Amino acid sequence: MFGWDLTKQYFNAWENQTAKYLEHWLKSPLLLEPAGAALSAAMKSKAAADKAAADFWGTLGLPTKRDQERTLHALNQLQSRLLDLEERLADKQP
Amino acid sequence: MLDRLFGVLRQAQRPKPKVGSTPAFVVHHENKWRLLRYRPRAAGPAYRTPVLLVPSLINRHYVLDLMPGKSFAEWLVAQGHDVYVIDWGTPSDEDRFVDFDDIADRAIARALRVACKTAGAEQAHVLGYCLGGTLAVIHAARRPERVASLTLLAAPVAFHDDGLLSLWTRTQSFDVAALVAGAGNVPWQLLQSAFHMLRPTLNLQKAVTILDKAWDDEFMDGFLAIETWGSDNVSFPGACYRTYIEELYRADGLMQGSFSLSGLPVRLENVRCPVLAVTFEHDTIVPWQSAAVVLDRVGSSDKHRLHLAGGHVGAVVSKKASKGLWPALSTFWADRDASSSGVEQAAPAASTDREAAPAVPAPAVAATSVTATAGSPEPASVAARAAAAPTTAAPSKGHRAKRRGGRSQNGS
Repeated sequence: MFGWDLTKQYFNAWENQTAKYLEHWLKSPLLLEPAGAALSAAMKSKAAADKAAADFWGTLGLPTKRDQERTLHALNQLQSRLLDLEERLADKQP
Repeated sequence: MLDRLFGVLRQAQRPKPKVGSTPAFVVHHENKWRLLRYRPRAAGPAYRTPVLLVPSLINRHYVLDLMPGKSFAEWLVAQGHDVYVIDWGTPSDEDRFVDFDDIADRAIARALRVACKTAGAEQAHVLGYCLGGTLAVIHAARRPERVASLTLLAAPVAFHDDGLLSLWTRTQSFDVAALVAGAGNVPWQLLQSAFHMLRPTLNLQKAVTILDKAWDDEFMDGFLAIETWGSDNVSFPGACYRTYIEELYRADGLMQGSFSLSGLPVRLENVRCPVLAVTFEHDTIVPWQSAAVVLDRVGSSDKHRLHLAGGHVGAVVSKKASKGLWPALSTFWADRDASSSGVEQAAPAASTDREAAPAVPAPAVAATSVTATAGSPEPASVAARAAAAPTTAAPSKGHRAKRRGGRSQNGS
């Protein structure tokens, strides 16, 4: 039991120091700027690939994934507006 | 050491704790989000004003209903509150177009209207937790009509701090438009890993905690329930995320007064209802300074701050919370009910209802001022509120039942 408690104490001290060091380092612009750039580059590549795929489907006259997403979103918005109207009607009823 | 390893093996064979199990009805369902009403206690609610809980968008609502005995919602119901919670659900691909106005304006407004109508009340107490608190305060500033009081639980309002998330999202190379264009909804894995970076050694620390406490079933149940919740994240609707980063993180719109909702400016000075801001000393996700500052900006004269020890999640769901934080919140609402109507804190609970008695005396909220506000004198028929058809709320569409282990640092 004593050995475990001692081990835990050492671990806690190590963990605390390491966390502080890592937190400090992770906040450095030297790390954050490249991390942001890498993420942005990856996302731009994905957007370009998606666009290429959409263009391909578009040439076949088929709706793209984005078209379908827009349509579904519009349907959701319509549902929301209908619920607004239902609420107003219910409020007007005596 | 060997007995600790056996303890871990034994824990692996025990059934997982059941999370989010307080019975609830679905009272409204729209797109992916739902409004749940926790089944009131047998004697009916004791307070006339319902309570609406607004959780974060990127975590499940059941952090406020973690597990029996550690459930804020269950405890509130037992005290006689009529409790509603928004379950934001899981956004699908088409929800990349769901924007901040859809959520902070229209969805919360609808939830408030439905909760008030169901409860037979004019207004509701609103509690927002973390990002849910940010949404709630924005809503209250823009549409204060139905907000009886506002309770902000570790809710960030000032975003220019020296935390990792604030620093990263404000770097020039972080292109939020590219992120949303590429990913649509911002994947929960990305959000999760960003939260992991807040305390990179946390998983190691948890492993040691498991070894240390594997013999303690009660502790392990709570631990695993929080881990279950912490691993059950949702992606962030793309358009909403873009506004969140550009207008709140980068422009600090709420503090600068530049934020707008549905085309109209949001001014925190317009929040005039009673406000309680709860902050936590060791909160690494929302530093208490960025949450406490809301009290300097709101226009309310009845505003208070409760500063507690503990972290972002533990302080809300721990056993200690059930003796300190929860009673303080209940008292805050009960006092405002009494002062606003002059009539109720409504029908006392029937003596047969065992749940009705408060478990512990409520600690006094650290008051900076107390103002009795003139409100609706409309009495409410509390017994009538419990009449909704009982159906236990099923997990919302698309909820992941599968548990992903190993993650637990999370934002809410």
